[in-house]
Amino acid sequence: MTDFRRLTGAFVAAIGLILSAPQAFAQQPDRGDEPGLVADDSYELDPEWQKQVVYYRTTEAPGTIIISTTERHLYLVQPGGRAIRYGIGVGRDGFQWQGLVNITNKKEWPDWTPPSEMIQRQPYLPRFMAGGPGNPLGARAMYLGTTVYRIHGTNRPDTIGTKVSSGCFRLVNNDVADLYDRVPVGTKVVIRQKPEL
Amino acid sequence: MMRTFRGGLLIGLAVAVLVGALAVIYEFYDTRTLKRTVRRGEVLCGVNKGLPGFSIPDDKGNWTGFDVDFCRAVAAAIFDDPSKARFVPLDASERFKELQSRKVDILSRNSTWSMSRELDYDLYFPAVAYYDGEGFMVPRSRNKETSLDLADSKVCVQAGTTTLLNLADYFRANNMKYELVKFDKLEDVVKAYDTGKCDTLTADVSQLYALRLNMSKPGDHMILPDMISKEPLAPVVRQRDDDWMMIVKWTLYAMINAEELGVTSENIDEALKSKKPEVMRLVGTEGSYGEQLGLTKDWAVRIIRRVGNYGEMYERNIGEKSQLKIPRGMNQLWNVGGVQYAPPMR
Repeated sequence: MTDFRRLTGAFVAAIGLILSAPQAFAQQPDRGDEPGLVADDSYELDPEWQKQVVYYRTTEAPGTIIISTTERHLYLVQPGGRAIRYGIGVGRDGFQWQGLVNITNKKEWPDWTPPSEMIQRQPYLPRFMAGGPGNPLGARAMYLGTTVYRIHGTNRPDTIGTKVSSGCFRLVNNDVADLYDRVPVGTKVVIRQKPEL
Repeated sequence: MMRTFRGGLLIGLAVAVLVGALAVIYEFYDTRTLKRTVRRGEVLCGVNKGLPGFSIPDDKGNWTGFDVDFCRAVAAAIFDDPSKARFVPLDASERFKELQSRKVDILSRNSTWSMSRELDYDLYFPAVAYYDGEGFMVPRSRNKETSLDLADSKVCVQAGTTTLLNLADYFRANNMKYELVKFDKLEDVVKAYDTGKCDTLTADVSQLYALRLNMSKPGDHMILPDMISKEPLAPVVRQRDDDWMMIVKWTLYAMINAEELGVTSENIDEALKSKKPEVMRLVGTEGSYGEQLGLTKDWAVRIIRRVGNYGEMYERNIGEKSQLKIPRGMNQLWNVGGVQYAPPMR
C-alpha cells in the first residue's frame, strides 16, 4: 500500500515537475509544495525545530499563539512564564506578513484548494486536492481570520525552519496535531516580523 | 654676559628634562584604561581557560566564544579591528584580583554579578551579557515539563557549591522531597547521571547544555526551562574609571539595540542609509554619541560590522547555530519573550 502510494506520489511529482519546468527558469522553483509526496514520518528534525517547553515572558494570556517569522518558531503561551515552542516553515521573502488574527476554523486532514493567486504564480498546482498523507496541508489546518492563510501540517518535514511557503505557517504533522488538540476556535494568534530598517 | 647666558641655558634644560620626565611618568602611570589601551594598541581580556561556547582556544590558539566575541566587540569599537583583543586566561579564584591589579582591562569571563563582588573588590559590572541560572537536565523519555514535576527525584549534584544550597532552598520552598546524590568532581556527577543513577542533574543552565554534549546519547536528554537561581553573567571593569566603563557598557547595549532595530552585520551598509531616527542614532548618521564616548562617530557600526549584533553573537556561539543549542529563553529581547533590555540611545 505504502509502496503504491509512494509510486503514485512520485508519478504526480514527476508530472508536476515536467509541467513546472518552464517556470523553473523564470522564477525560483517552489520546493515547498510537492503535492502527492507522502510525508516521511521517520524524518528527524534538528533540535532547533523540535517541540519543546521554553522560558517565555509575555503580556499575552496563556493559550495565545505567537508566531515569530524571523525565528521560524511558533509559541503557544503557557502559564508561569513558559511557552511550548514548535519549529515552523514560513513564507518566502515577500510573502511574509504580520498582524493579529483569530483561529476561525479547524479541519483534520484538510482538502486543498490553492487560492487563485497561487495558481497564477504556480500554474502546475492542482486546482483541488483531497485531504490525505500526500496533501501539502498535512494532517491538520487552522484557519487564520478571514485570510487565505493557515497554520497547517506538511508532507515536506524537511522544509521546517525554512522560508518557502506562500504565507502559510507549516508544522510537521505530529506537531500540528499536538497544537490542534490544544487550541480551540477563537484562539488569538499574533504574527510578528522583524523590524524594518 | 656669557655667564648669564649659560646659566639660563642650564635652567631651561633642567626645566625641559623635568617636564619631559613628568610627562613620561604621567603617561606611564595614567590609570585611565582607555588611554592605556589605545597606547598599547590592544585590549587585554581576562577570559575562562576553556568553557565551550563562552571562551575556548583551539589547538592553534584561536579563541572563540560568547565572552571572547564581546571583548572583540570592545576592540572593534576602539580600533575598528576585532583582532586587537588579546586573551589572558584566568582562574576563577584569581580573576577579580588580576583585574584589580591591572593585569587585564576587562574581565569577560562568565562571572556572576553580585553585590559583594562589586563591594569587596572595588569593581563594577556594567551590564548583564547573559542571564544564567540553576536548572535541571532530565531524560527526554520522562516527559517532565517543569522542575515542579521533580518531587521524590534522585538529584545528581556537585558537592560544596551554591548549586547545592539553591537546590535545598527550592525543594523546601515547594514542599518537595528529594534524594541527594553528590560527588566532589563534576565528571563523577555527570557519569552518575549518564549511567542512570539519578533522575535529574542540576547545575547552571549554560553548563547543563555543555555537559549534555558529553552524554552517551545527547539527544535523549533535555534541559527544563525553569531557573531556580539568579546568575546574571556580566563583563567586569574597575571602579572609578568611568570613561572605560561607559565604553564597555554601551558596546553591549549597542549590540542589543542593533538586534532590536533589525541591524545586522549583513545589512549594516543598508542601515547606514536608513532614515529611521533610532537607526540613524545607532549608526552615527545622526548625533555624536561616539565622539562623546571618546571614540568615533561610527563606533557602533564597527562593532556590528566586525562582530555582529547581540543575537548574531548569541546564535553563533551558544544558540541554535552552535553546538550547544541553548534556546534564547530569558536572553531573548524584552519585546519578544525575554528580559534582555537596553536603554535607548538618544
